Amino acid sequence: MKISDFEKLKNEGTEKLPSEERRRFLRFGLAVTGVFLGGSVLSLTSARNASGVQEKKSAAGKFPYKPHYTMVLRQNRCIDCERCMEACVRTNHVPSYGYRTTIMEQNRAAGDDRDPLFMPVLCNHCNRPPCVRVCPTTATYKDKETGIVMMDYKRCIGCKTCMAACPYNARYFNEETRAVDKCNFCFDTRLSKGKKLTACAEACPADVRIFGELTDENSEAYQLIHKPDRKVWVLRPETGAMPNVFYIND
Amino acid sequence: MKIGNTKARKFFNLLLFSLVLLVFCSQASGQDEEDGGSIIFTKPVKAVIFEHSIHTEQGLECDSCHDGMFEMEAGVAEQNDDFTMASLYEGNYCGGCHDGDTAFASNTRCTACHIGVKGYERLTGGTKDSGGGH
Amino acid sequence: MSNMISIEDFSDPKAATPGVSKTTMLLMLLVAIGIGCGLYAFVIGHHHAYNNTREMPWGILIAGYAFFAIVSTGLCVLATVSHFMGGNPMSSLANRMVFLSIVTIIGGFSIIGVEIENPHRMLLYNMLSPNFTSNIWWMGTLYGMAVGFMFVEFFSILTARYKLAIGLGILGALAEIMANTNLGAVFATLSARPFWYGAQLPIYFLASAVLSGAAAIIMFTHFAYRIRGENMNSAVSEGIRSAGKVATLTLILIIVATSWRFISFFVGGTELGRVAAESFLSGPMAVNFWVFEITVGLIVPLALLLASKMKNPGLMTVAAIMILIGQFFQRYDLVVAGQMVPQYSGWDNLPTYFSYIPSFAEFMVTFGGFGIAGAGFLLGERFFGRVFMQSGHH
Repeated sequence: MKISDFEKLKNEGTEKLPSEERRRFLRFGLAVTGVFLGGSVLSLTSARNASGVQEKKSAAGKFPYKPHYTMVLRQNRCIDCERCMEACVRTNHVPSYGYRTTIMEQNRAAGDDRDPLFMPVLCNHCNRPPCVRVCPTTATYKDKETGIVMMDYKRCIGCKTCMAACPYNARYFNEETRAVDKCNFCFDTRLSKGKKLTACAEACPADVRIFGELTDENSEAYQLIHKPDRKVWVLRPETGAMPNVFYIND
Repeated sequence: MKIGNTKARKFFNLLLFSLVLLVFCSQASGQDEEDGGSIIFTKPVKAVIFEHSIHTEQGLECDSCHDGMFEMEAGVAEQNDDFTMASLYEGNYCGGCHDGDTAFASNTRCTACHIGVKGYERLTGGTKDSGGGH
Repeated sequence: MSNMISIEDFSDPKAATPGVSKTTMLLMLLVAIGIGCGLYAFVIGHHHAYNNTREMPWGILIAGYAFFAIVSTGLCVLATVSHFMGGNPMSSLANRMVFLSIVTIIGGFSIIGVEIENPHRMLLYNMLSPNFTSNIWWMGTLYGMAVGFMFVEFFSILTARYKLAIGLGILGALAEIMANTNLGAVFATLSARPFWYGAQLPIYFLASAVLSGAAAIIMFTHFAYRIRGENMNSAVSEGIRSAGKVATLTLILIIVATSWRFISFFVGGTELGRVAAESFLSGPMAVNFWVFEITVGLIVPLALLLASKMKNPGLMTVAAIMILIGQFFQRYDLVVAGQMVPQYSGWDNLPTYFSYIPSFAEFMVTFGGFGIAGAGFLLGERFFGRVFMQSGHH
């Protein structure tokens, strides 16, 4: 059901709702507002003006790309072992001065270094990618099929506007190719060769990085972010980039 | 609440007992590194910190753990193939106490012990860039 | 082109004194060093020559480019307005303005040419795979078109085809305005950078262009007469007075815009924008902001212009130079402050502000841009002086 359709419905009162529809509504509300606004409370109070995480997504299960790749990060499971980073470097020949993915660290409170938080970050493969819009030569583009934000190195003029435009610091300039480089969900090195997971997701010993398809209701990634009482968030939602990398706790 | 009370009482007794023991021990030895200091495990993942002091402060004795659970020599456990989280969940190694009963469960508070590569570099004086790069 | 034109018809021996020649040579040396540094960076890789980082990909070169592009727009627009509105007092300055607009945009292009890592790919793929949603693409294309229009316009002026010149001038000015506003939009449309993001910036850039253009023509005209040891005739003085009034008006506009711009960061919005704004008020950019942007660039020149009553070209030139210094700092501070607050602030013990100090090569490239403007001006006076000294072509 589309949001617009939803709004056209006559209010019959919640008591008359069949339980299945009730569940659907809950799931829908959470999938949309819970994710976008970063809190399940908000999602339960107002689904009316919710703009979706995926704006082009008309209802749960419909996404603009097929397969619509996503990565769900179970943040509190990350222990900064950095096997993901090692695997990425190995797989994608990332030079020592750059990175496609990294892990950030934060203390829970100032001066308290017990139980630090670790947060893996990577390209968010946004639905409305600022980097793609600003590139003068379409050297970076959104793959029409998968929605992966890719690079055509030979077209890159090195103006670095994409680096300035990215809300996630996901891009670096590669001296060898003389082009900006970034995560492409291992499309050239793994996905296109039939492998199902990115190198980082495969390497993670703690099941932090769940790579999957939002177009597949059976995929773990889909199920993780559609669980009704789960708080799901994205980084920097205020930029309107509509990222496809989601964060959850456990 | 009842369970909590008995648990708390048990813990309190243990604490009291060990406190007496600790005073006795420290007077007897007077050495700082007597408790084995900090152990940093780097296998199978980098890195896990074990602080003897935190555990002795809780009132544990040497043979609370060094009696079959861990060898006295540092670094022996991490050479074993079964020094894994799965094994901990079965009650081995740290899992002997970190079971959610005696101490917080092994599958919670990951970063209480897992200090990561960043923590490892910090403790061993490595120079890992944080965030920066070009 | 029936009758051959000769450079001797336009050149002005009075602007070819030994002192001028020596200064020109020195400025050319600056250009050579700047281009040398830029080529060096191109060959060994920017990372080894420039101090830009992953987190702060843009620095003084983008600022320098923006500065010259903005000056160029101002000169071009003011020239066209004066040409187009024939009775305008500034028309006596218009020919010089067209030439200087070309010179300054060439200065800007030279800087951006060695600021981007692969200018050779740009030439190809700007045409082969254009992205029409990209402000960089529009900016580059439009400034390129503007230069083309102005080249032909200038040639038309030399060959006394004034109607054609006016038409091309209008096209050039439109291209310059659209290019300038796209330059503003390069920054203003990046929602990832709250210090830049917002609708004000493109208008601010356009106002800056008019201010910079007015200041530049006051300064250059003054110097044009100084090197010849002549006094301005009444028509030129009138033109300078008009330029002074334009500068006064735009100074006030920019003071107003700057005030509200900063207030807006402290009454709401995101932390990232607020922290960036704080860097101006009391942080690492405070000296640049309060001393160079505000005092040198806005307040003192406004006071000097008002004190001169638009009758003292010397005092007005001092004000103009201060305005241009302030304009450069405004470009630099804007570029740097937009990136200096870490996007992952609060993580990894990141500093409140990243630090960026331009490298030697970056400074030299920037100075090279000033060398191009300066040498271009002197060469223009020498070879086209007569065209500039005639008071308007109407």
